[in-house]
Amino acid sequence: MDLELSNDQELLRDTTARFIESVCPLTAVRELGGSKSPEGADYRRQAAELGWFALLVPEELGGGTVSGNGVADAAIVAEERGRGLQPGAFVASNSVALGLALEGSDEQRKVLTEIAAGEATATWALASADGDWSPGAGITATVSGAGFVVSGASGFVQDADLADWLLVTAAGDDGLSQFLVAQGTPGVGITVLEGLDITRRFSEVRFDDVEVPASALVGTAGGAAGTVERQLQVALALTVAEMVGAMDRDFEVALDYAKARTAFGRPIGSFQAIKHLLADTSLALEMSKSMAIAAAKAVGEGKDDATEVASMAKAFVSDSAIDLAQNCFQVFGGIGYTWEHDQHLYLRRLTTDAALYGDAAWHRERVWEFYGL
Amino acid sequence: MSEVDVQESVEDFRARAREWLAENVPKRGSAEARPRGAEGGRLMGGSRELQRALYDAGFIGITVSKDFGGAGLTREHEQAFREESAPYGYLPGPNMACAGPMLTHASDEFNREHMPKILSGEHTVVQFFSEPGAGSDLAGVRTRAERDGERWILNGAKIWSTGAAHATHGMCLARTDWDVPKHRGLTWFYVPCDARGVTVQPIKEISGGQDFCQEFFDDVELADVDVIGDVNDGWTVTQTMLVYERGAAPGGGGGIAMMMRPAKRRLAPDLVALAEKSGRTQDPQVRQQIARAHINDFARGQLGRRVGQLIAKGVANPAGIASYGKLASGMLDPIRARIGLEVGRTSALLWESGDVDAQSASLNYLNGRIMSIAGGTNEIQRNGIGERVLGLPREPSFDSDKPFRQVVADSENWTGKVG
Repeated sequence: MDLELSNDQELLRDTTARFIESVCPLTAVRELGGSKSPEGADYRRQAAELGWFALLVPEELGGGTVSGNGVADAAIVAEERGRGLQPGAFVASNSVALGLALEGSDEQRKVLTEIAAGEATATWALASADGDWSPGAGITATVSGAGFVVSGASGFVQDADLADWLLVTAAGDDGLSQFLVAQGTPGVGITVLEGLDITRRFSEVRFDDVEVPASALVGTAGGAAGTVERQLQVALALTVAEMVGAMDRDFEVALDYAKARTAFGRPIGSFQAIKHLLADTSLALEMSKSMAIAAAKAVGEGKDDATEVASMAKAFVSDSAIDLAQNCFQVFGGIGYTWEHDQHLYLRRLTTDAALYGDAAWHRERVWEFYGL
Repeated sequence: MSEVDVQESVEDFRARAREWLAENVPKRGSAEARPRGAEGGRLMGGSRELQRALYDAGFIGITVSKDFGGAGLTREHEQAFREESAPYGYLPGPNMACAGPMLTHASDEFNREHMPKILSGEHTVVQFFSEPGAGSDLAGVRTRAERDGERWILNGAKIWSTGAAHATHGMCLARTDWDVPKHRGLTWFYVPCDARGVTVQPIKEISGGQDFCQEFFDDVELADVDVIGDVNDGWTVTQTMLVYERGAAPGGGGGIAMMMRPAKRRLAPDLVALAEKSGRTQDPQVRQQIARAHINDFARGQLGRRVGQLIAKGVANPAGIASYGKLASGMLDPIRARIGLEVGRTSALLWESGDVDAQSASLNYLNGRIMSIAGGTNEIQRNGIGERVLGLPREPSFDSDKPFRQVVADSENWTGKVG
């Protein structure tokens, strides 16, 4: 995707691609079907060795970047993950890592070290149960004695049942707060849901007046808005990178098919009806790539307009991804409707990605808010 | 590289350019800066005096050999000048869509004679390329040049020549052999606009403007020295021209990649102004539409960067890659223009007599399909991307193998039978 990678970044991409191909190719993703513990500890530890969970973690905690821009580095991993429709809460894990790196207590920074090493996993409860991604939309926190009571429900929490730690973003009277909550905390109810996307698994997490100690608070009570925003930016930059990887692969396969499949005595790709559809689709793909690069750059370098660029990228790529998956489906024709063909996996994944961390319409509205209009 | 005299270093050249520009050219947006139309202004040299001054100072034709009136310097010098001149917006200069192919294909004799005048602005050249019956099908031109002893006699008509009313010369594509396939019987000529038999007429466009012309050639006499490239090899020259047109040539900066962007981004100011006028900045649908246009604008800028990077990397088919930028404009301009009308509602459709500002949304709407038609339609860009970038098989051809004379006859008696 990015045309100006350093040698080290190229190496990161190559090793990531080789790892995915050998350990979790699409045939394996299919078997998982999102139904059981997908990757397992081996997969996670090997991925951690490649640096997947450490790119946004400070060096003294076992992390480090490849290029100096950890978000751009993570976007390289994300793109390869997207190509291979990899399971696992890579995006959420890295967003949590950023939050803990910025605001975590000493205890929480120990958790961060474990996350970076692949010894512990974390995911993020941000959206409300009905899919509102405005931070704090579904969960509230109130002060109670020395600690807090967390109530409400969160949707789209990836691998919530497998994660050792949940980062919960909650609204309170003073503003947003975040809590790092351990798996198994009483009152936390996790329901694994089935859904359109069968390459990953999402849960609804309910917080039934969960009592959490003050030590679970990440940063200050009511003061998390800035950190949440930065976590969201990272989630957006990495999500669009995963999407662009998946789009690139889906398009590649459709293009090969258009050259190989014949009808009416010709390869179907020689018909302008198909050729022009693919040309338009490849334009959307190239534009999406350039948007993903812009987002990783703006977010990773902490630019003033990172909020806007990340939202613009998510809005643009979300619309383009669904168009692309639909257009590829059309090129494949009937075979794209068969379970054995991979097309539907891409359609399912990309359509779900379009909703994750806010859909296109939500991000277009965020652009107005960025300008204070 | 075999030149004996010592070349000015890039650093010295850059410093000299910076100083010269500061002294001689008003910065873009300053009070003295004269308005220059984005494209027409550049092609026609918004100010001929400034072009002459730039040329005399050695800032036009930087990489052109001294033999042809250029400065004989390197791409690095040219890049340095581009960087230094960026704050000044578009500067007047020769029409590279013509000068580029001339430098590549015309004879030394031709370039020695004409290039210094073209670079300095003494000659202003436009393309005599499209015809009433040949737009996207560029190789289908029917303007003819026939051999008559030592002369060529030109007859026919051209259209959509940008700014031809102010040009001194046209670079004209004519058919010189009707008994070979269409791409093989074409030749380019250098035609003085004041030659006997040349008539240049402005066209009135739907916007009310007159930026384009049509030309008629009635037994115009030309000489061998007026031929650009080899006789009957005009298609090779055309390929080079298309690369320059799309900004994909070396030193072209990747076309739209070089498009000027404001330093501080604003939310589609023209559309927000229309929404304010119609009192609908809080209407969710209006907000969605405007944000969509704004994001598309940004995405086009990012695509331009990407296309520029790809071309700089030396991809196999720069013209095909450059088609992405053209297609993006061709697809998104009409959408954006339509959003303007929807957002502005009445104020975009009706105005008090003489209120020029109020007309802009309607004017943009009328001009919204320029990029989807001019210089190769969206469909042509899609073929280019599909076949040259994506490697899809070509359409069956009905006109590439038989004599052009036969092509014309068959197309007029179309049966739908192949072969």
